[in-house]
Amino acid sequence: MAKTTHFGYKEVDIEKKQGLVKGVFDSVAGKYDLMNDVMSMGTHRLWKNYTIASSNVKEGDHVLDIAGGTGDLAIKFRKKVGPKGKVILSDINDSMLFEGRKNLLNHGIIDVDFVQANAESLPFEDNTFDCVSIAFGLRNVTHKDLALKQMHRVLKKGGTLLILEFSKVENQMLEKIYDLYSFNLIPKFGEFFANDEDSYQYLAESIRRHPDQETLKNMVLDAGFEFCEYHNLTGGIVALHKAIKA
Amino acid sequence: MFRLTIEKSLNHFISANNTDLTHIDNKVVSFRVDEIDLTLFFLCLNSRIFVIDSPQDKKVDVSLITNNASFLAIFKGASLEELLENEDIEINGSVNTAQQLASLLSSSSIDIEELISQYTGDIVAHQLGQAFRQIKKATIKNDSSIISALKDEITTALIAPSRSKFFKGRV
Repeated sequence: MAKTTHFGYKEVDIEKKQGLVKGVFDSVAGKYDLMNDVMSMGTHRLWKNYTIASSNVKEGDHVLDIAGGTGDLAIKFRKKVGPKGKVILSDINDSMLFEGRKNLLNHGIIDVDFVQANAESLPFEDNTFDCVSIAFGLRNVTHKDLALKQMHRVLKKGGTLLILEFSKVENQMLEKIYDLYSFNLIPKFGEFFANDEDSYQYLAESIRRHPDQETLKNMVLDAGFEFCEYHNLTGGIVALHKAIKA
Repeated sequence: MFRLTIEKSLNHFISANNTDLTHIDNKVVSFRVDEIDLTLFFLCLNSRIFVIDSPQDKKVDVSLITNNASFLAIFKGASLEELLENEDIEINGSVNTAQQLASLLSSSSIDIEELISQYTGDIVAHQLGQAFRQIKKATIKNDSSIISALKDEITTALIAPSRSKFFKGRV
């Protein structure tokens, strides 16, 4: 019997998940930034700013932004590392990379490298990066444990891993409101703004299937990181896990 | 947020001044301030400082137990030796490592009073900072030990608050 995994609330053949996720992101790539602004009411920008502030990235650093999509983190990292540093934006999805390249060019940035790569098998040497980030990408990865081990491998000693991801809401009242919002309004927004209700239904479901804060912290530690702590943002709707390779 | 602000300020200072951290590389220094129930772990790796809430499995190289006043004094450049002599601080582990980190903390000009005010949500830190500044002013004139004066002032505040600069006009 074939092994299965979750794709939103559906159980699918483990081999098929990557293709299904690709379908979602091929479909939403063109409207990705707009939809982020609509769904989070702009708050995703604050979450990302907090992530950058927590990164300790400095001039000359090498940064890998996994599942970097339309490049909003890469733009901010690029400013921090300066001309002596290096930022690589990677994504498994070519449609998202295309949007990312367009977005960076629109910001006048031409020296960020783009790499189409699977987070489960990163094509980089060991101990390469001072910082690895993945924002709203880990929940779409089929084998999260493998991806976390790869992130650990490519980080230098003293390097920082930042995982920004939807998480478990702390407050019960907020959780109820959030559930109503994400299962009723988000798919409708998807239909209205991006003509794609199903992809945004998947988004809402995939958030609920993602490991909660403590579980993810333990997964990060199991991947070899010595330190990991998380900060809940907006009541735990999103959490930033910060880990250090010692 | 408290730890993040300290971490950001330190790393900004380190980066702007090309501070050499090789002497404390891979070391963990802990600070405990009992009065405000605050424990910070400073970890130095990859030419930057991480301020973490737990050392997890890593060995702590030196731990410092301070009170509010001596914690502030460290950020304002007080010598650990002097604090030790006055029994305002307890150090377990390498004093040299602790002193290296203390020098970094004082050089970075972090507004620790403001941060502690936000952390504790009251005016204790502000009052302590004010008292510290008054004492410093007075002791510069008298050429005596800042720490001894600070210790005396805290003792006065605890035993006879009406005579203390801390509570001047408040009791």
